[in-house]
Amino acid sequence: MLWILFYSFGYKPDLYHSIATDRLGLGQYQLAASSTFFQTFIGTLRISLTGTALCFLIGFPFAYWLSVRVPPSRRPIYLALILIPFWTNFLVRTIGWRILLAPSGIFAGALHFLGLHSTALEVLDTRGAVQLGVVYNYLPLMILPLYVALDRLDPGLREASKDLGAGRVRTLFKVTIPLVSPGIIAGLLLVFIPLSGDFITATVLGGAKGNMAGRMIYDQFLIAQNWALGSAMAVVLILLIAAVILFFGLIAIAGRHIIRYRRRVELAIAV
Amino acid sequence: MRDWVRPLLGMWAIAVFLFLFAPIMAIFAFSFNSGRSLEIWDGAGLSAYASFFSNGVVHLAIRISIYAAIGSAIIATLFGSLAGIALARRPGKWQIIFVALLALVLVTPEIVSAIALLIWDVRLGESWSFFTNGLVRLWIGHSLFSTAVVTLIIRARMAGIDESLEEAAADLYAPPFRRFRQVTLPLMFPAVLAGLLLSFSLSLDDTIISTFVSVAGSTPWPVYVFSAVRSVLRPEIAAVSTVMFLVTLFAVGVVALVLRQSGSNARDITKTLTGEYGGNSRA
Repeated sequence: MLWILFYSFGYKPDLYHSIATDRLGLGQYQLAASSTFFQTFIGTLRISLTGTALCFLIGFPFAYWLSVRVPPSRRPIYLALILIPFWTNFLVRTIGWRILLAPSGIFAGALHFLGLHSTALEVLDTRGAVQLGVVYNYLPLMILPLYVALDRLDPGLREASKDLGAGRVRTLFKVTIPLVSPGIIAGLLLVFIPLSGDFITATVLGGAKGNMAGRMIYDQFLIAQNWALGSAMAVVLILLIAAVILFFGLIAIAGRHIIRYRRRVELAIAV
Repeated sequence: MRDWVRPLLGMWAIAVFLFLFAPIMAIFAFSFNSGRSLEIWDGAGLSAYASFFSNGVVHLAIRISIYAAIGSAIIATLFGSLAGIALARRPGKWQIIFVALLALVLVTPEIVSAIALLIWDVRLGESWSFFTNGLVRLWIGHSLFSTAVVTLIIRARMAGIDESLEEAAADLYAPPFRRFRQVTLPLMFPAVLAGLLLSFSLSLDDTIISTFVSVAGSTPWPVYVFSAVRSVLRPEIAAVSTVMFLVTLFAVGVVALVLRQSGSNARDITKTLTGEYGGNSRA
């Protein structure tokens, strides 16, 4: 991986060579931070953050349902049903969406039938399609750790909370979510990190409009053959991912301290 | 209980399942599309399968995929098993570093590993032509991630096996190799098999690393499909995908069965199948 860092300081010598490192400089970083590429990095962050949040919002109720409402004997079947899409080739699943979202495809037909949309569907090859695609592709990676965490949670704790007079919402936020937070963190990371580097979804569903950083790196390495710029972009991407994780990690830690402090104050007042 | 939440959750679950299966069903259905373009339905028929069976390029791609999967599964299982045993049996200072390294491999975005591998392959290929061989590149690339996964599976299994069994064998004068072959190996065999099949299917499905490291003439099937995305998608692609989907499903099903036979519960199986031992390993 250090070679990527090294190459990112190099440059593209001529049309027929992809890398030279006899002169080192930050030129590639300037290029990577130039407005067009910068826009894509921002777009990538937006897609990956929204995607991670959506995966959580969709995945949490589902994992909760699977671990709490479904009797244990039937859980393996539902788990297997989650694992089947997970084990289907990533690329193939994404191509499946091309069929569904095609201008005169199944979704367009359904919407037309319901009278919601009359002209041809224009979702394909936009940012919206990429957003949908990534949520779809990474949803199992969110559901599984959440399920593992929720499954480990003793149902007695939730009941105790209800016996002590806490309502449903209060139990969820004060008991369930704090106790499964390691699973939530694992799920968020498992979705966010690969999602940020994804280039397949963007290539298959994004067309010209839905570009992502992973695809820029791909283009620089395998099409433009400018390895220096590609390496610089990869370094920027890693730094961005790390920065986002650090940022939210710090927020989480700060938030926890504030809650603890407030609780102590409340207790002090009560006493 | 005032129960409006229960039906709501149930409906949510059904919606999630529909969402997860919609595109797979679409691929499956459209593999019977007899039209020229994948996305436009033009009557049912088996022409896609026919052209798949007569297309030499696809055959080569699948063959390459299978060679790559077998090779990388063997490499990953060999290294992963040894590393897993070492981690479980001889913990030391280096263990922390090694586990951190494994975690790093598991969390690196795949595209970054892919370009790192490409850079290495090209640099090393300048001196040793060995590294310009497409299959060798795929073996190395694919076994990187799966070695980490196999290591964690084996470590978890070995942590569950009492070391005194091996000590007993030693007390009965079994030399180390015999001890390994007659005691340790049979005990850890389910995990080895699971690791083998898991790395096989991981390699079979890998798109990102393959796209970067593969050389013209030895492209595995996902790369073939990916290049079709960039030009024209034919129903043939759906046919190939359906067939390969069944192959993967078969391998994964065998893993689940083996794990079940060896007494793991659903949670362990899930964790194994998702390679999720990395982040919160606690063996």
